[in-house]
Amino acid sequence: MTAPLLELHGVSRRYRMPREALLRPPAVLTAVNNVSLTLAPGQTLGIVGESGSGKSTLARLVMAFERPDEGTVLFEGTDLNGLSAGALRMARRRFQMVFQDPYGSLDPRRRVGWSIAEPLRATGATDSPARVKQVLDQVGLRAADAEKYPHEFSGGQRQRIAIARAVVTRPALLVADEAVSALDVSVQAQILNLLMDLQEEMGLAMVFISHDLAVVACICDRMLVMKHGDCIEAGETSRLIASPRHEYTRSLLVASGL
Amino acid sequence: MQLDRVSVAFGAAVALREACLQIEPGTRLGIVGESGCGKSMLGLCLMGMIPDAGKVSGSIRLNGKELAGAPEHVWRRHRARDVAMIFQEPMAALNPLKRIGDTVMEPLEVHEGLSRSAARARALALFDEVGIPDPDSRLRQYPHEISGGQRQRVLIALALACNPSLLVADEPTTALDANVALRIIDLLVRLSETRNMALVFISHDLAAVARATQQIAVMYGGDIVERGPTAQVLGAPRHPYTIGLLGARPGLDNRGRGPDGRRKRLVTIPGTVPPLFELPAGCRFSGRCTREIASCALQRPQPLALGAGQVAACHLLGQAHAGAGAS
Repeated sequence: MTAPLLELHGVSRRYRMPREALLRPPAVLTAVNNVSLTLAPGQTLGIVGESGSGKSTLARLVMAFERPDEGTVLFEGTDLNGLSAGALRMARRRFQMVFQDPYGSLDPRRRVGWSIAEPLRATGATDSPARVKQVLDQVGLRAADAEKYPHEFSGGQRQRIAIARAVVTRPALLVADEAVSALDVSVQAQILNLLMDLQEEMGLAMVFISHDLAVVACICDRMLVMKHGDCIEAGETSRLIASPRHEYTRSLLVASGL
Repeated sequence: MQLDRVSVAFGAAVALREACLQIEPGTRLGIVGESGCGKSMLGLCLMGMIPDAGKVSGSIRLNGKELAGAPEHVWRRHRARDVAMIFQEPMAALNPLKRIGDTVMEPLEVHEGLSRSAARARALALFDEVGIPDPDSRLRQYPHEISGGQRQRVLIALALACNPSLLVADEPTTALDANVALRIIDLLVRLSETRNMALVFISHDLAAVARATQQIAVMYGGDIVERGPTAQVLGAPRHPYTIGLLGARPGLDNRGRGPDGRRKRLVTIPGTVPPLFELPAGCRFSGRCTREIASCALQRPQPLALGAGQVAACHLLGQAHAGAGAS
């Protein structure tokens, strides 16, 4: 057994809600409650659940955008929250993220080549046009597209750009938060195939978050089902689909038409 | 409601091309396709709500009465009473400054001339019908105080207020979680059955349409490329676009790993939906179709009856048909 790439041990994250009454303590929302998981290099883990179940908070914890209130996040054996800001930024070249709305995550006033190279600059690598061309080719775009602006692309192409930016530093882990949810079904299939290609070419591990169980099932080896911040069921995708143990998982299966 | 060769054009961009549809009382029709394929434009046609810049031609008949090109005040008499519509984003369709009860009671007081207390009683009955728990306190709440699924139920109640004979639902479940969406679909089906109300269900989600409807129309680039009984069209699709759409949907057969240990890939339709003003003149799907022949880009395929009520517009089917007839 190889050493795990990513380990979460009993991670919780709570948010304090706005105070409703002057003399009562403010309510606390537990977005993620005591979740543990491990991910080996090159593996895909799906996280499913409806909105508000804590999926995205979990992604932000994995990416060290948030600090857990309890528990630890270990990436390649290092506690990310123990690193200094500078060291964390350098470490980020090994784990990257793709978001739902590619238009919102690309600077509309910069050429996409500049945006794609940004992680290289931020992590102290050299800003190399050759590498940008290489990833553009990898995600199915033309090298000349580096000179264009985000508005010149369709939604699916923009998501390809966002993926190119995420893999430009040759990360070991990609966190995809609802990366295909905003796309039409034919484009969604193209992007899912692209992610599978990249995974095989680069040996990329992936945390794939979606509310759509059918999408998760087609790309993930293992799944974790979340509800109200709790991990209620986890295991092999095929096992979860064939014999879900939890009523909630069953209802998600029915809802996604599987 | 009957649509005969209805087209909508915005200058040179044709958003809808010669659509023919017939909606019988109490039946449920699904309209599927990707964004920008003309689904919503078709829905707006049924409501007489095409934007002013759009030029409508063809015939739209409601209970035999011709409404294409009818002025706004004529359409107004039919909206809410004969045809009503619900939208994708329920929050945007509700006035955030008004209590839910006031929003729902308004059309009852204005259109039906009910007194305040009679309107209130009707609103309570409607909330009960669409499955809103504790309707009494809901009437006093504001839209932001209730969940997305409940808001969509409020909008359905609002649409039902004047007992329409046709309800147009434009992506009613897209903004909702899968479980909630399922319950809304089942509610719409039940309402259509108990009220003998026709339902036009517009969605890009094939699974939702399969569950909700009896008839289906598949749209691409402003054309209805295939239509027929839902089970027939989704079970044995004939148009390459319908086949591509069904294949692209992750399901049981394209999951897991192949014999070589590599993950199975999804079937894709190459390229993306082109903008309206760049659509090919012939078959709209040419340029993306994997089985294209020479005549596709030039000549528009005519709808061809394939038996069991299934109709598709594709040159390949026409060829196969002509070939079969000759031999």
